[in-house]
Amino acid sequence: MTQFHTEHADEAVEERIRAAMEHAAPSQLDRILAECTVTASQQPSLQVVTPSRRRRRWAPLAAAAALAIVCGLFFVGQYRGANAVASVVSLDVNPSIQIDVNQKERVLSVLALNSEAEDVLADMDLQGTQLNVAVNAIVGSLLQHGYLSSLSSAILISVEDQDVQRADRIQTELTTEVDAALQNAAAGAAVLSQVVTQDAALESQAAASSISVGKAALIQQVQAANPQLDFDALAALSVEELSQMQRTGATAMPIGRAAAAAAAQAYAGLTERDIYEWEVDPELDKTPPYYEVELETAYGELEYDVDAYTGQVLKGRADVAKTGTPQTSSGGQSGGGDAQITRDEAMEIALKDAGISTGTAQGLRCVLDWDDGQSIYEVEFRSDGVEYEYEISAVDGDILKMERDGEEWGSSSASDDGYIGQETAKEATLAHAGVSASQVYDWECQLDRDDGRALYEIEFKAGGREYEYEIDAASGAVWKAESDYDD
Amino acid sequence: MFSMTIAEPAPGEDAALEACLRRIARGDQEALALLYEKTRKAVYGFALSVVKHPQDAEDIQHDTYVQVWKGATSYQEKGKPMAWLLRITRNLSMDLLRRKGRVDTMDWEECKASFSQQSAVTAEDRITLAGLLAALGDEERQVVTLHALTGLKHREIAALLELPLSTVLSRYSRAIKKLQLAWKEGD
Repeated sequence: MTQFHTEHADEAVEERIRAAMEHAAPSQLDRILAECTVTASQQPSLQVVTPSRRRRRWAPLAAAAALAIVCGLFFVGQYRGANAVASVVSLDVNPSIQIDVNQKERVLSVLALNSEAEDVLADMDLQGTQLNVAVNAIVGSLLQHGYLSSLSSAILISVEDQDVQRADRIQTELTTEVDAALQNAAAGAAVLSQVVTQDAALESQAAASSISVGKAALIQQVQAANPQLDFDALAALSVEELSQMQRTGATAMPIGRAAAAAAAQAYAGLTERDIYEWEVDPELDKTPPYYEVELETAYGELEYDVDAYTGQVLKGRADVAKTGTPQTSSGGQSGGGDAQITRDEAMEIALKDAGISTGTAQGLRCVLDWDDGQSIYEVEFRSDGVEYEYEISAVDGDILKMERDGEEWGSSSASDDGYIGQETAKEATLAHAGVSASQVYDWECQLDRDDGRALYEIEFKAGGREYEYEIDAASGAVWKAESDYDD
Repeated sequence: MFSMTIAEPAPGEDAALEACLRRIARGDQEALALLYEKTRKAVYGFALSVVKHPQDAEDIQHDTYVQVWKGATSYQEKGKPMAWLLRITRNLSMDLLRRKGRVDTMDWEECKASFSQQSAVTAEDRITLAGLLAALGDEERQVVTLHALTGLKHREIAALLELPLSTVLSRYSRAIKKLQLAWKEGD
């Protein structure tokens, strides 16, 4: 007898399970509610939408289009009662902007709370537009002015309204809207949002520091962990720094992004003239808290981790000016001034590591490049349907990065429950990296699935280096090994 | 006799559940009641599929919502409120099994007696539950229950149960076949 397995059969079985559970599931709501009273832990809290892995492409087209539409709109007519402010929405990046809307969510006024906000708003006339349209336009302008593009930035949306349900709905809608706009623009910023209860003292404090009530509320939450922290000093921090401090209950004042960049610059032995651009990503929720500083310099791109409280450089190359050679202005393909090994040697190192002979490697490519302040060879080849990618130090032939990608996966996927476990994966990783367990800190290990195969994705630091590994969860094979250059 | 119930949660329900969690984080009891109504079946069913005992599953259901009340502030919105909720249920269930010393034998007679005391549970429900609890392996039962009650996709179920997707898919189809067979004999 053949049993046909169809979607219809699945649905019938599931329906029967649902019916049985509907009848069998107890109703004990009263008992639960009796135990759930409002406690101190029910504080207003910050909702975070973390950016999915957006690419750092710079194309705020959709948002710019929204801006163009709004600029052409005018406020047409009004009616009795429509002028009463029902909700106050504030947007904080560095620019702080306050939007007052009526009960129909039409914009009554838009206020620039600091000079950066004045630039962003320029001559936009948003009065009378619908709130979501106005917010979209402002986000578009923020993007055009270079805010929100990097992964290290964040926008805080705060909604102040006596009607909690409406506040809630507006918060949800705007968060979704802004997140979508950022996704469209391929911008990396995180979206934070909160509902703020009205508080006259907070409002005057916010006004005195030229920030929004929303940012002031966030500062208040940070101060909850340490009331000694100065309000104005906190007001100078970015929304992202504040939210990280709030999450971790930070009790001290971080040095700030500018000071972190200055510390990195001094450590690198560079002058301001050597630095074309810098970007600082606060990592205040890590242990220890630090700022990740990226310097684009005459000596290539340099990366530093700077302790967020002491300003001490934790990671990165010192005295670059003494040891490195400035790049020519011919762009990213230059470098190689400090190359000690040849192309052939680099290819040989990579092939030997992969256990593949020159004869069987297909599509062998080797390019000399400049990365993180040093010359490297990028070696790529294929063998037996597997693609290999290596980065070999041109100075000493060290393998800085190794990645392989199979094409034939899926058929030989991991057997049921047959994973090696995190401990074994750790052993395999440390053995490969040549690092002892006692040296390791900031260990992170996550089981993940990629293209039908199960992997342990591992990140850790040891001896001043940062490592990234992918270990096959079934076999323990190393699929990716990467470690950042450091001295 | 089938009573018509809708597969839950309905599409787009995630946003509603997240809105509930946000309100719960601010101490809104009404939101907790709403969340309970929307998810109680899924939470109970999943707990039952892990602990295999009606009374224990009832306790897990209770503890899950109490924990949600206390922990809603720590929920980070990623569009997966149901997975978050069920992870709490799973952790509580595993804790209970650990405390009980992972007794793997399930006394169906005892369960049946317990279900018989509930007037809402029909004779057909008892056959349904007997098939689920007695005829299926642990993973089969958990996978098919989650798929029927929670709206989670196989991929999300795999993540929740920490199983490979291929395992989840094969457990699911085997569970369907076994249940069809078991109920045929029982009906």
